Amino acid sequence: MASTMISSNPVTNSSANSDRSKRKKKRKAASAEQYRQEEALKWRTESQQQIYSSKLIQALSQVQLNPSSPSAPRRGRAVREAADRALAVSARGRSRWSRAILTSRIKLKFRKQQNKHQQRQRIVSAVAAAGGSGRARKPRVSVLRLRGKSLPAVQRKVRLLGRLVPGCKKEPLPVILEEATDYIAALEMQVRAMSALAELLSGSNQAAGSAGSSS
Amino acid sequence: MEPLSGPGARSSPTADETALDSVQFGEDIRHLISVPTENASSFTALLELPPNQAVELLHSPESTRPDSSQQQQYQPPQHFNAGLLTFPTNAALIERAAKFSVFAAEEDLNNNNNNGIGSPETNSAPSNSSAGLHKVVKTEPAEPVAYLNSSSVASDPTVATKDENQRTNNKRKEREKKGKGFSKKSKSAANENAEQLPYVHVRARRGQATDSHSLAERARREKINARMKLLQELVPGCNKISGTALVLDEIINHVQSLQRQVEVLSMKLAAVNPRIDFNLDNMLAAESGSLMDSNFPAVMMPIMWPEVQPNGSRQQYHQQQWNFDVVPQPAGGGWGREDGHNFITPENSLLSYVSSANSASLNSSQLKMEL
Repeated sequence: MASTMISSNPVTNSSANSDRSKRKKKRKAASAEQYRQEEALKWRTESQQQIYSSKLIQALSQVQLNPSSPSAPRRGRAVREAADRALAVSARGRSRWSRAILTSRIKLKFRKQQNKHQQRQRIVSAVAAAGGSGRARKPRVSVLRLRGKSLPAVQRKVRLLGRLVPGCKKEPLPVILEEATDYIAALEMQVRAMSALAELLSGSNQAAGSAGSSS
Repeated sequence: MEPLSGPGARSSPTADETALDSVQFGEDIRHLISVPTENASSFTALLELPPNQAVELLHSPESTRPDSSQQQQYQPPQHFNAGLLTFPTNAALIERAAKFSVFAAEEDLNNNNNNGIGSPETNSAPSNSSAGLHKVVKTEPAEPVAYLNSSSVASDPTVATKDENQRTNNKRKEREKKGKGFSKKSKSAANENAEQLPYVHVRARRGQATDSHSLAERARREKINARMKLLQELVPGCNKISGTALVLDEIINHVQSLQRQVEVLSMKLAAVNPRIDFNLDNMLAAESGSLMDSNFPAVMMPIMWPEVQPNGSRQQYHQQQWNFDVVPQPAGGGWGREDGHNFITPENSLLSYVSSANSASLNSSQLKMEL
């Protein structure tokens, strides 16, 4: 193949170096496709689920709102944030959404300090209450803007998808698709792990409850 | 040409022709160069030659001038019918081969190529020199094939030369395939390289523009299509839908449903998880149990029960706490088995979440049914 590439195509650059580098890059790009597919599949492995669940348990045990604020929604939100952060850590920071999740908290605190005496403080606290996703900041404006130029329907949907995936609001289409692939795989794993954990805990609760009541 | 084609009628195809056929070309070229007589027939005419004729040519240079003589015709077959298909390692032939710088030069070039083209015809027996001869000889079909595209096809009446023509045809097809395949490869290389390099010189595929803009467009589109395909595979039920907008709708719905599930589960976990140290004790309970089977034998359930309780006052303390915080569940006799099942899952704990999740969900559904 090497000889034919060099010999039979006069249009390509004649330098052997560029051919070789092109071939390497082609191989890398071809393997990049498979790599992305395998990446999405990595979220389904048993080991990944174990890693995530152990991190999740650690994070949940550190959730400190339990004794102080018994309100269910706030605790639920805190749990969800912790779970998301554990998920982002399991992603090892190789994807944009994981980095966005991890840095969102820091950004929030940063902005809180900056805008203490400003009008935005209200919004920031609302954002903090809403789970730090940052989505609640300007939801209506962006939706209106999208409706304004709704002719490219695909474009509109892609922007919507970009807003759903954390950290991908303004990214171009291929990036959003890639991030969405990884994010969906990770979310599925998160749902699996959390449901298993919930069953486990509720089951042991029942067991302990009935044992406690019977004994 | 005529004297050579005359004895062609008497040819009898043998199994050993294939190797001999290759020698024909070498012989022919040698004749062309060294012996420009009437026997230096055109290449195409030689293709019609039966193998016996080739053998005759092979042998004739050794002894006499390459005149077609009836005697010599019958001698060669004896060589070849006698077992292995080995060319007589003729020093004269080798000398001749060595003399002509054409072959010597080509040998170096073509030795590399011909290892692939290969010689199913050459058997193990031939010596290195004759093997070299084979190789040299076989390169000729590779080169002149391009020139003889139609003529060789047209001039193949006999069975004897069919093999060799097939070979030449195959080689020609190979090259054409290589050419076409390569153009496609170059195109895909270009598409993928377009991601990395700003300028790519490629040969376009059939019927497609080579404008740099359209090339970039095509590369971009293919990138996007590849990613969409991955997403479609990931999201269930997207394979049947065609059209980007609908697929995107499905994907958005899926992401939203997953996020909602996470919300629900987090609420549930928050309700179930009132204590900070809850999970530690859970792990303690897990360590107490030694049952690692995923089949959850029902017999073992009641046995596990008493083991857990004396594990520590802390645990009992938390058990009592659980009674307050956990949503009260009715306790019943029929629950013993399911409780045991659920209790097994902490023992498997982190090791088999998938199976435990399945069984746990099964158990929870059983529980709900009993409710």
